[in-house]
Amino acid sequence: MKQGSRTSELIARPELMAGEVKQTSELFRILFHRSPIGTYIAQNGVFRLVNRQLAYILGYDEDELIGGPALGFVLAEDKEAVRENAIRMLKAGCSLGYEFRIVTKQARVKWVMETVAPVYYQRKRATLGSLIDVTERKQVEERLKQITAEMQRSNTELEQFAYVISHDLQEPLRMVSSYTQLLAKRYSNKLDSDADEFISYAVDGAKRMQILLQDLLEYSRVGTRGKPFALVNCEHVVQQAMANLKIAIEESGASVSYDVLPTVVGDEGQLVQVFQNLIGNAIKFRRDEPPQVRISARRRNSMVTFSIEDNGIGISSQHSQSIFEIFRRLHTREEYPGTGMGLAICKKIAERHGGTISVVSQPGKGSTFHFSVNMVGGDPD
Amino acid sequence: MTSQLAERIMAILVVDDNPGDVRLTAEALKDGEVESRLYVAGDGVEALAFLRREGRFGDAPRPDLILLDLNMPIMNGRQVLAEIKEDAALRQIPVVILTGSREMDDIVRTYDLHANCYVTKPIDFEQFIDMVKSITDFWLTMVRLPMEEH
Repeated sequence: MKQGSRTSELIARPELMAGEVKQTSELFRILFHRSPIGTYIAQNGVFRLVNRQLAYILGYDEDELIGGPALGFVLAEDKEAVRENAIRMLKAGCSLGYEFRIVTKQARVKWVMETVAPVYYQRKRATLGSLIDVTERKQVEERLKQITAEMQRSNTELEQFAYVISHDLQEPLRMVSSYTQLLAKRYSNKLDSDADEFISYAVDGAKRMQILLQDLLEYSRVGTRGKPFALVNCEHVVQQAMANLKIAIEESGASVSYDVLPTVVGDEGQLVQVFQNLIGNAIKFRRDEPPQVRISARRRNSMVTFSIEDNGIGISSQHSQSIFEIFRRLHTREEYPGTGMGLAICKKIAERHGGTISVVSQPGKGSTFHFSVNMVGGDPD
Repeated sequence: MTSQLAERIMAILVVDDNPGDVRLTAEALKDGEVESRLYVAGDGVEALAFLRREGRFGDAPRPDLILLDLNMPIMNGRQVLAEIKEDAALRQIPVVILTGSREMDDIVRTYDLHANCYVTKPIDFEQFIDMVKSITDFWLTMVRLPMEEH
């Protein structure tokens, strides 16, 4: 646009300029007064110009505001921060929005977001301010924050509860278990056959209860006793898990192979536990042939997903969710021993690492467990 | 090496507020190799009175080994351990921490207080019996300790 020539045209033809001014002022009126953004110009802390939306937000008539103090509506606690923010922004000349509370004429507290910019108005320094009402968004945010805090609190409480009961129940149970075993040792074949049978049930029940409590304790420890996250080489993790399963691998003639595995961010001990549980399951739930376990990894954005594939008995799809619940078992203790806690622990560890665990399986052919960790999720604790 | 020690009846002081555990320890010792006599203190104050031959413990023997629980009322195991290891007359007696706690914090703190070793009470009965036997066999027959004039 050739500003120079346009100006000289207006000077040469004053009637054109009058029309132009009229148009501009009309445009200004529309833009300023009908704007959905509360706008004002203030000088020396006093409103010089305010629009309808600003008056609406503050609950006043426009006339009532003109000449009044611009900071007068800010909630007392927020005043200092607003003043500092305004000074900083005016100095920097930038206009990043900041949020604070105002009190309306009707004594309602609202959240607003404001930006200010240094301008000249009637040849004097002034502040141009724009604000919008963000009360609803703030309320939703607050509610979300409350709910999140509440959920975290109840989660922590639950973990603590599980930890305390499983820990504190162990001591008295150890007494029951020890002394029923001592009874069995000293008095078997010395009382009658009923007594022997009763004692053996008591011994067996106490032993099973101990294993359940230990597993419950281990489960609750995932959250309460986890280590801070660090870089973890997953090939070392798998090697460690395999070393811990050495006897089971040798006895079953299992072959466990793994691809190049990445380094992730996590809790090494817990990751070993996941691989140990998954490889251990692959060996435990095998068919007649020697188990074959294949481990691979694939990275997508910040998620690393590990796949642990076996040629075992498989799981029918109706159980593919429930097997991750605590104490969930699909077989009798005689068929396969265990408390049904292993996969629940894996799930909890995956979640602590910002990931998930799932299974795809063909009964009679084998299962593939997918276990993911988030590289940037970090430790939620 | 073991003969001179084994000829004497060994005195073991068990400091534990759980009579069930004390009895289990006694049962285990009955099966053990070492001929021993068990003395029991139900809390830390009693344990220190025994060791210092105070009050009714005037003619208490000096134990050859102390099995010390951590969580006890009145005076806990850590405080007892600290007192023993600060006392020149007592600090050479081996103190085995025998507790239900598996917390790393407890382990670190008791070694800092110069515990001679830390053992977690096994949950399994047979393991508990074996553990007591191993501890007493080790501390009362295998290791060499400074001899006290009796």
